[in-house]
Amino acid sequence: MTWGRMPSCAPVANRRWPGESGTRPKLATCATMLFSLASAFGQQSSLAPGGTHASQIKSLGVFFFWLLGIIFLIVIAIAVASIFQRGQSTQDEAAQRRLKTAIAGASVLTILILFGLVVVSVGVGKEISAPGGRGNELVVEVTGNQWWWFVRYLNDDPTRIVVTANELHIPVGRPVLIRGLSNDVIHSFWVPGLQGKRDLIPSRVTTQWIETNEPGRYRGQCAEFCGLQHAHMALWTVAEPESQFQQWIGTQLRPGAAPSDDLQQRGQEVFLSHACVLCHSIQGTTANGQVGPDLTHFGSRLSIAAGTLPNNKGNLAGWIADPQNIKPGTRMATVPLDPTDMQPLLEYLESLQ
Amino acid sequence: MSEPRVLDVSGLLPYRISNKSPLWLGQLLMCVIEGSLLCLLIATYFYVRLSVDVWPPPGVRLPSVMLPTVALIPLLASCIGSYLASEAAKRDDRRGMLVGMISNLVLGGIFLALRGIEWRGLNFTWSSDIHGSIVWTILFLHTYDMVADLLFTLVLIIIVASGHYGQKQRLGVHVDTVAWYFLVLIWLPLYGVLYWGPRALGAK
Amino acid sequence: MTALEELRAEPQQAEELARAWKNRPGPLGWISVTTHQELGMRYIVTAFIFLLLGGIEALMMRIQLASAENTFLNPARYNQIFTVHGTTMMFLFAVPVMEGMGVYLVPLMIGTRNVAFPRLNAFGYWIYLAGGLLLYAAAFTNTMPDAGWFAYSPLSGPQFSPGKGVDVWAQMITFTEISALCVAVELIVTILRLRAPGMTLNRLPMFCWAMLVQSFMIIFAMPAVMIASTIFLLNDRTIGTHFVNPAEGGDPLLYQHVFWFFGHPEVYIIFIPALGMASSIIEAFSRRPVIGYPALVLSLVANGFIAFGLWVHHMFATGLPQIGEAYFTAASMMIAVTSGVQIFCWLATLWSGRLQPTAGLHFIFGFLFIFVMGGLTGVMLASIPLDLQAHDTFFVVAHFHYVLIGGTLFPLFGAFHYWFPKFTGRMIDQKLGKITFWLLFIGFNCTFFPMHILGLHGMPRRVYTYVPEMGWGPANLLATIGAFIIAAGGICFIANVLKSRRFGTKADPNPWDAGTLEWSTSSPAQAYGFIHLPVVASRYPLWDQEKSKDIVTGLRNDRREVLVTTVLDAEPDHRLVLPGNSIWPFLTAVGFSIGLYYSVFAFSGYWIATALGMIGIIGWFWPRQPLDIRP
Repeated sequence: MTWGRMPSCAPVANRRWPGESGTRPKLATCATMLFSLASAFGQQSSLAPGGTHASQIKSLGVFFFWLLGIIFLIVIAIAVASIFQRGQSTQDEAAQRRLKTAIAGASVLTILILFGLVVVSVGVGKEISAPGGRGNELVVEVTGNQWWWFVRYLNDDPTRIVVTANELHIPVGRPVLIRGLSNDVIHSFWVPGLQGKRDLIPSRVTTQWIETNEPGRYRGQCAEFCGLQHAHMALWTVAEPESQFQQWIGTQLRPGAAPSDDLQQRGQEVFLSHACVLCHSIQGTTANGQVGPDLTHFGSRLSIAAGTLPNNKGNLAGWIADPQNIKPGTRMATVPLDPTDMQPLLEYLESLQ
Repeated sequence: MSEPRVLDVSGLLPYRISNKSPLWLGQLLMCVIEGSLLCLLIATYFYVRLSVDVWPPPGVRLPSVMLPTVALIPLLASCIGSYLASEAAKRDDRRGMLVGMISNLVLGGIFLALRGIEWRGLNFTWSSDIHGSIVWTILFLHTYDMVADLLFTLVLIIIVASGHYGQKQRLGVHVDTVAWYFLVLIWLPLYGVLYWGPRALGAK
Repeated sequence: MTALEELRAEPQQAEELARAWKNRPGPLGWISVTTHQELGMRYIVTAFIFLLLGGIEALMMRIQLASAENTFLNPARYNQIFTVHGTTMMFLFAVPVMEGMGVYLVPLMIGTRNVAFPRLNAFGYWIYLAGGLLLYAAAFTNTMPDAGWFAYSPLSGPQFSPGKGVDVWAQMITFTEISALCVAVELIVTILRLRAPGMTLNRLPMFCWAMLVQSFMIIFAMPAVMIASTIFLLNDRTIGTHFVNPAEGGDPLLYQHVFWFFGHPEVYIIFIPALGMASSIIEAFSRRPVIGYPALVLSLVANGFIAFGLWVHHMFATGLPQIGEAYFTAASMMIAVTSGVQIFCWLATLWSGRLQPTAGLHFIFGFLFIFVMGGLTGVMLASIPLDLQAHDTFFVVAHFHYVLIGGTLFPLFGAFHYWFPKFTGRMIDQKLGKITFWLLFIGFNCTFFPMHILGLHGMPRRVYTYVPEMGWGPANLLATIGAFIIAAGGICFIANVLKSRRFGTKADPNPWDAGTLEWSTSSPAQAYGFIHLPVVASRYPLWDQEKSKDIVTGLRNDRREVLVTTVLDAEPDHRLVLPGNSIWPFLTAVGFSIGLYYSVFAFSGYWIATALGMIGIIGWFWPRQPLDIRP
């Protein structure tokens, strides 16, 4: 892991995300200054783009903002000025004519401006939806579930297909095609720092291109109301240089790490002997559940419960002990555990790098 | 200040049994509402057609064209009954109204009976698949409207036959025909879509 | 001679008319009412009660979102509340309140005594009330819908929304839809056929034009929501059709297409009447005819047409073919042209008028500010790239509240302050009115402006909470504070209405010196509207003194008689005897509602509704004495 320090054990609801720092320079244009009400914005902001597409959209947005903002000010200025225009004769023919000419002129100007905006907007629209493939694209399948993301890296070689959850790693400088699917209701895949959103619709496949030249972490969140825990359905996108990305793929292809000490050994036994295996799988063990996220490399992930909590032992303990408390309505079951089993289980799961 | 000018309308009729009555316009608007409903269902039919590969879906028997086409004859003929009834209503001809409305009712009834026979021949239901859902919905809504309109015609027949009626009821007879014309007219595109559609749209 | 003098001069006629237009006494009389003012006011008051309920729901949501990971509401409750909030505001407040204003004002503005179909009007009101009761009965028995106000399938389907909440939602739509259609039909016929002699279409007041356009839009748009909610969604849920459930081969996008084919025009159905109100208020308080009447009318009509061509801009994120996208972007921006023309006309009118700084005009300035900003963010959303970022975020929440509250509620409040003397016979307190305005204006911007920023910074809509590290806390807190300022404005308004109704100074027939016909009769208007129907020779009969005194005579006063005129030129055609009090609309509505209520549980409810409705309608139309209408 090169993108940051891995978390150590922390108290429940330790909300510091690993490697949290302003790695990306903020484009401090006037518009964003105006919009930056709170300094903490940024990880999931369309105004702090890292992706090629999101940057284009932002430039378009800034252009719209200034143009429409000026129009707004002019209209309001005229309205306010009219308050001080007292007692003009209503019968003055010449004044009437002038006003009607002004209305006609403003209407024509509106049409011209809007025509320009349509042209610019359709142009940018073409660019951001154009296939970005140059023969080197990465194809990732993202499947929405209530309320987590199933992620699969497609490959012609079936042994090189990587499966993960709630986390997307992408190489910098390479176009990525997201194939969107859904297992239940409509979700929407949206990483504002990279690209606009695209719905994930059951019985259909939607596609979207993302690409970035800036390494960093971009948070995304489901944007189409999908039920009870729509609010806690986030994912992290990690953009890293090609070599690190290949290293990550290499790690992900390996089966789950074998326990390296007695505590972890005990933890694995706890996992395999409890209901965990009904939903989760860990490659290299007998756990083969297909309902919940694959946990083969759980320890390497940034978050628990689809972006709800940072991944560390304290938070994990809280999550396993009472998932309904952290994410009411989640499909994750509360599995009764002997108190002495918890620590080994945490050790084992966090060791799954 | 000059005296107000006065427009005396006491000489105008206190009712009018014609297309100039507000009720006629109201009935026309009701037909437009029903028409937009059915037009949207036709649009839905074509949209649904595009979303599947085979039309009609495998296993569905092509609807027979023969019976629905024959049924158009009593249907179109029933409009003559409607027309006679509304003309008779305008000149307060009780016998004419009864003859018109009863022939309308009988011919409409024959049409519905033929539709019933044809409907029983369908080998799918509303819950078979999306094709079944849309075909049944269109048939059901149109039939529902027709039955409702014929029931009102029946009520009007009873009222007129009893002799217990005035201008308002005569206007009712006249306006009732607007609804019937509409239902007959809207059936023509629906007929085309439901019976010729599967043949014309079979290949994608 | 003013109307009051006229009233004094002809007491016998007034008495005769009052007798013919009197409601029956007692509770039975109360449910038999068919006069437009009484029913219009019932619409308005009922809609306001729903506005209060929707407002309380909004406050609950704002409290929940005031800080990160707040636990004031649990997710299930939050989802129910935003669903019911949206549904209430769209279907039980915004559309009905506009209809109520139309039903109340249109006959007075065009110089007639009632709407063309008084019993249909009563039926529409009762059906609306029944629909509202259905939703809130469900809410209080804990079967609230929770799939959002547009209830996308498959989330709203049988698999993911078990229970009866969504069924209630779907059928509630049917009620409000039937009610809206009734009002639309009767208003179109009223406006086209019952105008005072001489009021050619070219002299129709702007508000009536707006109601005419809105009514036609209802006629073409509302059937679509019936298809989406009742035929697709409810039948999929109750009898197993397969329209929109992907698990059974249906297509969820079909639902979205049909829903938004209604849903987009719905927004215009709500704010077009408000644009008409704005025109009326601007004219009156600028002391001059509106500049560019033909342009305003054409823009309204064009708005009505264009509104049907841009539903797909709600679906950009579903991924559509390129060509379609360009078309829908262009069409969506077209709306800005027609809206822009109207704003330019109003600005010109204000510019050249002698402005009266009333509370009513304050609301119009607030409307201009907020509506223009909402319109401009709408232009942003019409651009597909920007929409893909802003769609389904708080930016959109901000946008549509700017358009709907700014475009609808502000003119509506302006209209209450403007027409209050006509409604009640007393003047509304201007000072309290201005305080109401400032509270609403400041509170509104404080609540909704930060939402633009939240949306751009990634906050999706319909989330019951958010994680603290997103930095969305301060802006959300500001929005919550704003919501309470709005609530204070609401309380101020209610206090003002209650106070002014009792203690306000008595109003003259035309306290604002306005130009349209409703100000020519007494304040409050009598049930029969006018002692003599007016004859009109200009757009502003009251400003045109010479021509305002012409009257119609020869209508019988001992029964509810009105004059039918021709569609374009308003030339007298025939007299029409309108029905009087009747209990049948109420009975029909009750029978019909019982059936529709039951249809939430089983399809056979439709048979019950049909049978009971049929009995009601036969009773309604059964011949009554005297059978013959004598001249």
